Order: sequence, then structure tokens, then C-alpha cells
Amino acid sequence: MAGICCGVVGESEPAVATAVEQSSRASRRRRLEHRPFKFVADMAVRPPLENGPNKRPKLDLCSQFPLDNENSSSSNSNIKNDNNTVRVENREAKRKSGVVWDGDRIRNEGTVTDSKMKSVQVEGAEEGDSVQERPKFGFTSVCGRRRDMEDAVSIHTSFCYQIPKIPAKTHFFGVFDGHGCSHVAMKCKDRLHEIVKAELENSDDVVEWEQTMERSFDRMDKEVQDCSADTTVSNCRCELQTPQCDAVGSTAVVAVVTPDKIIVSNCGDSRAILCRNGVAVQLSDDHKPDRPDELIRIQAAGGRVIYWDGPRVLGVLAMSRAIGDNYLKPYVISEPEVTVVDRTGEDECLILASDGLWDVVSNETACSVVRSCFRSQRSLSSPSPSPPPGNDVAARRDSSDKACLDASILLTKLALARQKTFPLSKARSTLLKNRIRIIGLSPLGDFALHCISGNPRSRALDF
Amino acid sequence: MKIGGGTDNIESFNNFFQCWLVEQDQFLNELLDVSKHYETNNNNNTPTTGSTSIGDHQVSKDQVLRSLIDKAIDHYEKYYRAKSRSAKEDVLAMFSPCWMSKLEEAFLWIGGWRPSMAFHLLYSKSGSQFEARLSELLRGISTGDLGDLSPNQVVRVDELQMKTIREERQVTEKMAKLQETVGDSSMVELSHKVTELIRSGDRMSEEEDEDEDEQVESNLASKEEGFGEMLDEADDLRLRTLIEVISILKPMQAVHFLIAAWELHLRVHDWGKKRDARNQNHGGGDGVNLPQS
Repeated sequence: MAGICCGVVGESEPAVATAVEQSSRASRRRRLEHRPFKFVADMAVRPPLENGPNKRPKLDLCSQFPLDNENSSSSNSNIKNDNNTVRVENREAKRKSGVVWDGDRIRNEGTVTDSKMKSVQVEGAEEGDSVQERPKFGFTSVCGRRRDMEDAVSIHTSFCYQIPKIPAKTHFFGVFDGHGCSHVAMKCKDRLHEIVKAELENSDDVVEWEQTMERSFDRMDKEVQDCSADTTVSNCRCELQTPQCDAVGSTAVVAVVTPDKIIVSNCGDSRAILCRNGVAVQLSDDHKPDRPDELIRIQAAGGRVIYWDGPRVLGVLAMSRAIGDNYLKPYVISEPEVTVVDRTGEDECLILASDGLWDVVSNETACSVVRSCFRSQRSLSSPSPSPPPGNDVAARRDSSDKACLDASILLTKLALARQKTFPLSKARSTLLKNRIRIIGLSPLGDFALHCISGNPRSRALDF
Repeated sequence: MKIGGGTDNIESFNNFFQCWLVEQDQFLNELLDVSKHYETNNNNNTPTTGSTSIGDHQVSKDQVLRSLIDKAIDHYEKYYRAKSRSAKEDVLAMFSPCWMSKLEEAFLWIGGWRPSMAFHLLYSKSGSQFEARLSELLRGISTGDLGDLSPNQVVRVDELQMKTIREERQVTEKMAKLQETVGDSSMVELSHKVTELIRSGDRMSEEEDEDEDEQVESNLASKEEGFGEMLDEADDLRLRTLIEVISILKPMQAVHFLIAAWELHLRVHDWGKKRDARNQNHGGGDGVNLPQS
């Protein structure tokens, strides 16, 4: 069982938040208006978990608000001093050269995004020097009630700092839930961030995240195949059990977090959720063999989904996409679904976890557990909310944050508490997937979230 | 080493075991009383008592609990010492222990509880205590029980679990090799030879007879020796696992863990005995007549 809890909330919020309140609220409204239906509906029905002074009922957020990008952006800039304005412009330039939106829905939002993101960035910029310097995250990785640890967690902060076109504070978080053996998950842990980095290096100035991530996953899958072809595989369990390591694979849910975006790529049944102002927003859609579109895809490729202890591809694998699993190709594919969201000031944390958590803990529960944990940490800590300033950023960069670590431990314990021992499995025990992996992200500074899922499919299964 | 030696020895171990169970039962009650006492005391005292007296209270409480825990570990060590002594007389009896119910026997791993089970026990108890006081834990309030494992403890438990599973696998592997030797060539040749002798109907001379017995004896003795070593290794892992789990836990948590362990042990023993008795009454010893469990 492993997981990461990453908070994405700025602790120095009060100072900046009041100044920018108006505009960020405005942009939030606009943002919400443009969110695809599903989202709006989800938000509307979800009661706020907490009635703090700056929390408003969700319905309120959905009210009409005139679109006025210029106003919003200029008001933001006005608040800022010159230094920050410059910063904003820089980022703006960077951001514009960032994602290329495709599809009508998204293009519609493009203009809105611009102004809104600016405001968000200003908030971020203010914090940039102090809090946002280092991302806050915590992760837990425990075996739980299983006998084998097959999962891996990969965290690389500022993993692209040598690449000029990528913002320095771009972080990589990944959770890989292996099945069959751990070596595919380990390989993903060791390599995927480097592959993504290489892809980014080779990409145009305009980073097309979706394609970048798709290419990265494809390369990752090929590396895994090559690795199982040569026999110099490390001393893993499967060597003893199967001469060819074909029947081994891993899920992969990866979040690349930039100063203004979260890019979630998912392949398999692990999941990423974003906790935004108390609402759990699911950023990935589990690849289960009985998901209607996946079922159609598998059948079109000539495969079958057979129910044996749940739906399984060819009666074997309980997920429809994975890295590895050569023997189930082409039914099981390694292509990820990529979701790009803009960060908002209301983003509190990002949680990446394997089905070990999600099978027993709902998105909403996970979200509220993490929030409670952050809240209690805040109230327990001294009046000055900011942690001791970390001058030695390099040394602290990879150290996890206490609140996030506690949150991830709480989620882990909750999952352990609810996880039942698995009945003796049938012949395919090695392919059953019940471990827990939790990733969470923590306060990285305010996040701007605004819709954008490149994936029109309903991700409302859990809502 | 004598084959099947010492029914007296087994009888005496059986007696020891019965006494040990009674002791465990008394001990369990003691632990339950103590944990309840501190729980109610804590609830009454915490808000009002001054910090120094809380500190003192904490120190004496920890001392009381630690001495109980030490006693509990002694209790286990006593069991394994007695077991080891008896095993030297008759190791095979330890693999089909008549002092246990059939239910307990079904759960045996090399003559005792499976070491990795300790972590399931811990997670189960920890899970129920965690859920019971979830709202307090979420507010950052320390409950001091097993639901309140710190990040550091979770990590250490996990590391210990992995290590224990690894060692358990190694011992299991060794046991597999030992069990396979029942089909090794010396055994097969010997069994063939003896079968032929029986078939031929020739009366063996006393000398031949003794010779055969000696060969069988020496062959089986080496196997039994192997089983003795396996039992030692398994028991060592069991005891070590127990002590190491307890060492990760805070005193109060360790008490909760021991309570859970003994409740489980004593009740499974009771249930198993009851089933055995019922089974005998039904006249079938194989459990076929039993209602589904």
C-alpha cells in the first residue's frame, strides 16, 4: 500500500487572498460557468464540508457573472507591485506558450483561462518566494494485508529545472500499482519521470501535454517490453514463477504539477483526485474492463471481458489499461487518459492512490480526512502559520511535509481499517489487485483549477 | 533422539499448557483492568490536572504498563522454553499437538502460529480502534491506542512485516525441502527393501531384523532432527516477531496488542474445543457433519 498526499494550498493565504479575493472570486465564477456540465452539476449538489468565512455554498459559485477578462486581469495587476507584475507577465508568456487547447469546448474557455490564470498566478507569485518554494507532499507506502509489495511511488520535485521552456517549479508525482510482480512498477518509478523529461526536452516550445504524456507512456511501455525480453531482470519474485515476465504489469497515475497547471495522466485503476474548496474533483477515470467505452474498445480489438471475481480482460486482468502485460495486448493498452486542469486558489490538495484506497474510501471521505488533518495541524501549530523558512531548499526539497505525511498516514490507516482480508484467491491470485497506494500532494501554494478535462467522459462514477 | 519417545513428556507438556492457558486468562483480565483503569483516568484527568502531575502520572503509568508487558513477554518465553524442552524428547508431537483443538491445528504453521499473522492482528485491532475514534484523530487529538500509530510507527511496522514475511518464506522453503526428503532415494530404497522382505515371507533373522530397524531408525532420526531445527527456527521467528512488534508500540498500545492477541488465542481455543466436542458427539471425527463455519 502506498500513496502520496500533496497539499496544494498556500499557507500564507490570508495576506494575499484578501487583496485578490474579489478578482479570484470573479474568475472562479467564470471558470465554473464554463466547466463542462458534469462538473457544474457535481459542484452544485455537493454541500461544502466546512463553513469557514471564505467558504461559500457551491450553488453560489455557479451564479451568473459577467465575463470581463480585461477587468479582472487589470485589477489583479493593479494590486501587485512592479516586481510581481513583471513576474506575472513572464509567467503569462510562459503559460501562453504552454498548453494548446483542442476541441471547441476547451477553446471556448481559452480566453477565460487567460485572465483567471493571471490572478491565480499573482497569488502564487506572492507566495513564490516563501511558501511555494518547495512543494509539500507526504506519501505512505505499506504492504498492508498483502504478502507482497508490488507498488511504487515516485516523487521528483523540479524535475525539469534544466529545461528553459518548462517552469522550474514543475513537479512529478507518480503512483504505480504493480501486478504479477513489482518489477514493472519499479521500472516506472525509476524511468517514467526521465522519459517525460526527455519528451519535454524534445517537444516544441508549445508543450502539448496530452501528447507528451501519451508518448511518454508509450515509451515506458516499450522499455518494459524490452526489459522483459532481456533476462537481466533484477531478483524479483516472478523470475521464479514465470520464465517470461510477460504477465506482469502496473497501473500508472502520474500528476505533473506546474505553477499553473496539474496534468494528470492515468493508465489503469489507480486514481487522482483534487480537493478543491472541500469538494473532491476526480481527475482520472478508472480503467475498468466493464467501463462501457473500454468494453467496446476491448471487444473491437477482439478481446473479451469475462466475469470471474469481477470483470476481467480475458477473465484475467481486472483493469483495462496498464503498462506491461504484454500477453494481454492489444486488449490491454498502455495509452493514458490525460486531464489538464488549471490551478486555482481554492485547490487544497491532490491525492493520488491505488485502488487499495479507493475501493474502501470514497473521494469525498479522502478529501475531508485530508482537510481535517490540515486544519488540525494549522490549529496546533504556532500563530505564525508559515513553517520555519527553508533556506536550504535543496536539502529540504525532497523531504516531505508533516501535514501531508500525517494526512497520507491517516488515509492509509483508514484504508487498512476498512480493508478486509482477501479470501484465498483462485488460480490468478497474482493478478488480483488489492494493494493500497496513496499519493497525496500538499500545499504548493494556491492552485488554480479550472476545468478542462480533455476527456469528455463522465467521471462522475463516485459522485 | 527416540522415535515417539515419552508419552510422559507429552503428558507433562499438556499439563503445562493447560496451566499456561489459565495463567494467560488471568493475565488477560489483569491487562483489561489496567487498560480500562487508565482509559477512565485519562478521561477524567486530562483537562484539569497540571502539566507536571500529568508528566508524573505518565511516567508511573508507563512504568506500570512496561512491567506488565515484560511479564507478558516472560509468559511467552516460558512457553517456548517448555516447548523446546519437550520437543527434544518428541518433536513429532509438536507437529500434531494434542493439547490444541483441530481448529487451532488447521491454522498451524510449523507447529505454531504464523508469524505474519501478527501484523494482521495488529492491523485489525488498530483498524477498529482507529475507526472508533476517527473524529478525535482527525482533530489531531491523540488517543494513545493502536488507532493512533504515528507515521514512524506505521513505517516501522511495515518494514518489520516485510522482513518477517521474508524470513517466514525462507523457513517455509526450508520446510519444503525437508518435507520433500520423505521421497529421497534412501527412503524409497529402504521402503522397497523392507516391503520385499515382508513379501518374500522369509523370516528374517534377528540380526537382519535389527539391521533393518537400525537403518530405519537412523534415517528417520535425521529427518526428525531436521524437524526439530525447523521448529526451533519457527518458534524463534514467532517470539522475535512478537517482541519486535511490541518494541515498536508505546506501552499502552502494546497492552492493547497483547489483549487482542490473547483474546483471540483463548477464544479460538474455546471455539475449537467446543467444535471438537460436538464433533465427537456426532460420532464423526472428520468434521464432515459440521455445519458450515
